[in-house]
Amino acid sequence: MLASFLEGWSIFRQNLLGKIGLVLLIIFALMAVCSYIPPWINPMYNPMTGVDPAITSCTPPSLRHWLGTDFMGRDILSQLLAGARIAFMVGISAAVMSIVLGVSIGMTAGYMGRFVDTLLMRLADMIMVMPTLLVVLLLSAVFGQLSIWTIVLIIALFRWPGVSRIIRGQTLSLKQRPFIEAAKVAGASHFRIIFVHIMPNVLPLAFLFMTFRVTSAIITEAALAFLGFGDPGTVSWGMMLQWVWKTGHMFQAPYWLLPPGICISLITLSFYMLGRAMDEVLDPRLRKEDQTD
Amino acid sequence: MELRRYIARRMIQVIIIFFVILTVLFLLFRWAPGDPVSMMVDPDMTQEDAEILIVQLGLDQPIGVQYFIYIKNFFTGHFGFSFHYGEPVVDIIWNRLPNTILLFTTSIILSAFVGVFLGKIASWHKGKKTDSLMTIGALVTHTLFLPWLALILIWVFGYKFGWFPINGMISEEVWLDPEAGFIARAIDVMYHMVLPLFTLFLIHFGAYLLIMRSSMLETLKEDYILTARAKGLEEKVIRDHHAAPNAALPVVTSVGLSLAFSINGGALTETVFTWPGIGRELVSSVSQNDYPLALACFLMIAGVVLVSNLVVDVLYAYLDPRIRY
Amino acid sequence: MPCINAKQRRSSCRWVLILACATMLITGSLFIASTASAANILKMGLLQEPKTLNVWRASDRWSRKVVGLMYQPLYVRDPETLKLIPWLAAEPPQFDEKTLCYTVKIRPAKWSDGTELTSEDVAFTARFINEFKVPRYRSKWNFVKKIETPDKHTVKFYLKEPKAIFVSRSLTTPIVQKKEWTKLAEEARKTKKPLKRLLNEKIKRPVSSGPFVLKEWRQGTFLYLQKNKYFFGTGKKIQGRLLGPYIDGVIFKIYGTSDASILSLKKGSIDMFWWGIQPGYIEDLRANPDIELFQNEKSALYYMGFNVRKAPFKDVNLRRAVATLVDEDFIIKRILQGYGIRMYSIVPPGNAFWYCPDVPRYGEGLDREARIKKAFGILRDAGYTWEVPPVDESGKVVNGEGIKLPDGKPMEKFTILTPPADYDPHRAMCGMMMQEWLRMLGVPAYSKPMAFGALLQQVKVRHDFDSFILGYGSLSLDPDYLRNFFISTNDKKRGWNMSGYNNPHFDKIANESASAMNRDKRRSLIWEMQKIIIRDVPYIPLYDPKLIEAVRKGRFTGWVQMLGGVGNLWSFCQLKPM
Repeated sequence: MLASFLEGWSIFRQNLLGKIGLVLLIIFALMAVCSYIPPWINPMYNPMTGVDPAITSCTPPSLRHWLGTDFMGRDILSQLLAGARIAFMVGISAAVMSIVLGVSIGMTAGYMGRFVDTLLMRLADMIMVMPTLLVVLLLSAVFGQLSIWTIVLIIALFRWPGVSRIIRGQTLSLKQRPFIEAAKVAGASHFRIIFVHIMPNVLPLAFLFMTFRVTSAIITEAALAFLGFGDPGTVSWGMMLQWVWKTGHMFQAPYWLLPPGICISLITLSFYMLGRAMDEVLDPRLRKEDQTD
Repeated sequence: MELRRYIARRMIQVIIIFFVILTVLFLLFRWAPGDPVSMMVDPDMTQEDAEILIVQLGLDQPIGVQYFIYIKNFFTGHFGFSFHYGEPVVDIIWNRLPNTILLFTTSIILSAFVGVFLGKIASWHKGKKTDSLMTIGALVTHTLFLPWLALILIWVFGYKFGWFPINGMISEEVWLDPEAGFIARAIDVMYHMVLPLFTLFLIHFGAYLLIMRSSMLETLKEDYILTARAKGLEEKVIRDHHAAPNAALPVVTSVGLSLAFSINGGALTETVFTWPGIGRELVSSVSQNDYPLALACFLMIAGVVLVSNLVVDVLYAYLDPRIRY
Repeated sequence: MPCINAKQRRSSCRWVLILACATMLITGSLFIASTASAANILKMGLLQEPKTLNVWRASDRWSRKVVGLMYQPLYVRDPETLKLIPWLAAEPPQFDEKTLCYTVKIRPAKWSDGTELTSEDVAFTARFINEFKVPRYRSKWNFVKKIETPDKHTVKFYLKEPKAIFVSRSLTTPIVQKKEWTKLAEEARKTKKPLKRLLNEKIKRPVSSGPFVLKEWRQGTFLYLQKNKYFFGTGKKIQGRLLGPYIDGVIFKIYGTSDASILSLKKGSIDMFWWGIQPGYIEDLRANPDIELFQNEKSALYYMGFNVRKAPFKDVNLRRAVATLVDEDFIIKRILQGYGIRMYSIVPPGNAFWYCPDVPRYGEGLDREARIKKAFGILRDAGYTWEVPPVDESGKVVNGEGIKLPDGKPMEKFTILTPPADYDPHRAMCGMMMQEWLRMLGVPAYSKPMAFGALLQQVKVRHDFDSFILGYGSLSLDPDYLRNFFISTNDKKRGWNMSGYNNPHFDKIANESASAMNRDKRRSLIWEMQKIIIRDVPYIPLYDPKLIEAVRKGRFTGWVQMLGGVGNLWSFCQLKPM
């Protein structure tokens, strides 16, 4: 186990993109952690309700407010940090939920085969082609107000097809293995076989596959918030962009317009780079063959 | 024979899926807590008025009845009236559809062409600076947040430099002028299209570039390339006439697969640039609880996605006999 | 075969690029050429597109703005005195108390298709509204039992009972042409849902009696209204104003965002942006030599409402304490950046005749500490206790904690619902500030922004809320809404009594005011109603925002300032090209 991890790590280290991605990600994680600091220093730095007694409009960066203030006088930097926290929360929760769903469904499909398999995979196909953003838009019309958790759940509901395919493939090959036969002979129930015997072998793959594909969750939440369908009680980067756009400060406040967008783009980039690096670790065929060329 | 059966099977699947979506959407909307009548905030609208309107709009009937009417209407081509415009939904969609098609297809074609072109070059110079530059460029542009990119472009090119209009599809000076001919109007539309097109292009070409690049790298390892080299053909000829066309095939499928992603992007672009298309109509109708219109817009988009996936699958199956099951 | 494809693709790539460049060059020059604008056409920017030009369906403000230039009522408001003056009517209405009959004489006028506007049209409009129960107008005509048209220019309305609102609300209904709507009405009667059918009619060529008539509507981009040569006001002097219109037409350009329109205004592509300018832009526009800013008041009310049906806001003392804590100064100076006026009553002060200056004023003139002390006093006397009282024994103000109800139980946390920050930053901010101010008193308040549609659902339909901050952007000048907001019979699903206020004494006076035909008597009743409401504060009036509008100098002159802005009928009729 450890050997393969170290091997993977050395391959990873050689990948420049992966390294950059990792560094960026660490910076964002630090941002997320630091988001608790400003309100603790002074309640006026609270991203949502922070009121600076002296400032009630959009102001450029200053000593008191390193990135300036938004149209209500709230500190932009604390909003940015809080946004990092929300981004990680959304990304990781959506990833975890979709792993849970995708693994369960993938295993079930692969193991049960035939009708169940076809049904589930057709369902997966159908869901995979739907433009997630528009579906969540529709749902937000139906339910009026979506809390951030509802949004995460819905995003996860659209992400599981990707995982489930891989897991299904894996399950199919595992199904034939002797130890599964042995379990069947021993009288284990289907449920037990799936969750106790197959799952531990499938899980690492699922985890690695999904973890670095959280980006679409982050982007979807950002796009939703941008359009005005996010949770008005949370300060996410998309929400910040919506505020700058809708309150007419788009042309006047680059210090407000630029940071959230840069963050969203960079975090997407870093996950993407990490994802490609992880692909190389996982799939030997993709490794750079600069020795032979 | 086999191909025909495959097509038939896929078409039936598409129809079933569409029907499922139809039903799910209907249930969703009827179950909705918000209704358009309560959105009409007006001290003049008394509760009797509101109740009368609800009856008129058919929102008081039992769900089963509404569902049957809904399905019946769908198949007879009645998509209802928009709650907000008061016009038949079909008219509104028909009005908006060409605008979306114009912008969307142009952007896809442009991104695909340029992406394939650059990807081909990148793969040829693999490992060198050109390659790294292009790959990084593609990665960075592909991960930019689309609405933000749109805002930045508007700010820089529309506001600061004033080179392009900051929104809309046409300017009424040109369209109202009775002397302006077709050419002038077409040019006006193209002028407005530059920024939204550029936004979509920037976001999408990167993906095609990367796919083309890796596809080319794979293709260049194939035997027939070796043969071509052995025959003494020029490198350029090998690249452009033998490798590229085959390498471009996965790009075709990826256009289809990433359609959902592109459609999201299209809706966002239309909203930011107030381009009067279906995506934007969907967003605004959703925020106003205008069910019939939102439903119809979504169905239109879903239909397009399903059909294009079908087309791509069939195309691929036609071109590559191995992919049929 | 592949050879051709690859080569074609590459060369077509090149051609696309070349074509694109050429396009841009040509376009640039063409665009400049076509901006030599048609001389006397006013260009207005709209934030959103009107939904419809069907006058019965036009509920959103954009549709109403445009429709209002075409369909005219019998009486309109004078811009300075705000009194009702005859417009399509020739003189003030005559009222006969014995028969409860209003007689209205109509001015000679024509429709935009050349036909005469007669009493038939007026009678038709009223009967149409009653027959089809047209929303928003029905309640203003359903007490009219008979309409007579003794001659082409006289209409007699017989009421079932005395109704004070008849002149101010019913006679300000837009009049439609009988010819235009008769056929539509006939067809609608044949269907199962006639009202729906009528509301869904697309009126492509509205027949107008106003200064302008629709020429073209390009969906999503602009509307073009041309001067109506049959407009009855042309060349006439009404209320001492000589009317035109002197402009050849109006183009309404639709912008999706304020940014785009203000940019256009600065560039000169539009002459006026028909929407309030947000504080963020004001300084920039004020400094611009080509832009003139107009400041007007609005007949609007932004307020905090309570659910008085349940705890904790069932207790009037708590409501009064909250009213005391409201820092009006903060709201006006900081949240509204100075562009607003204090509201002490439900009726805006700009509505001078009906506004009662003599209502209780909680917290006026007090600083933060004094306000906390006063609120503390009110609550303490009502039996509230605290874990940590906001005012300690020595009289010093501290951070209060853990307020307890008179029965000893700790107060449960409650929410203040507000619209989202981007929809209305002011209301959202007020909510947050109320939360902070209340918490200083140890009251567990939580401000919760909520999507507007969902907010209305909860407050208006489900009555499931503690408190909220909402507003009415354009209240009518007739104060009948005062009755509607607080009369107990309106406390139902989707009813206008959202707070659940139930006071039989108020109900009695309110009903009297609805049928008080004597204006002064009605005024004293309306004043009494205001006093009762502000004593009981089911709503705390917060502010009335000022309206700042921007106009481009140098092209047109003659903008008329009025309550509600310069985009009014008088401006359109009096604007002259420079």
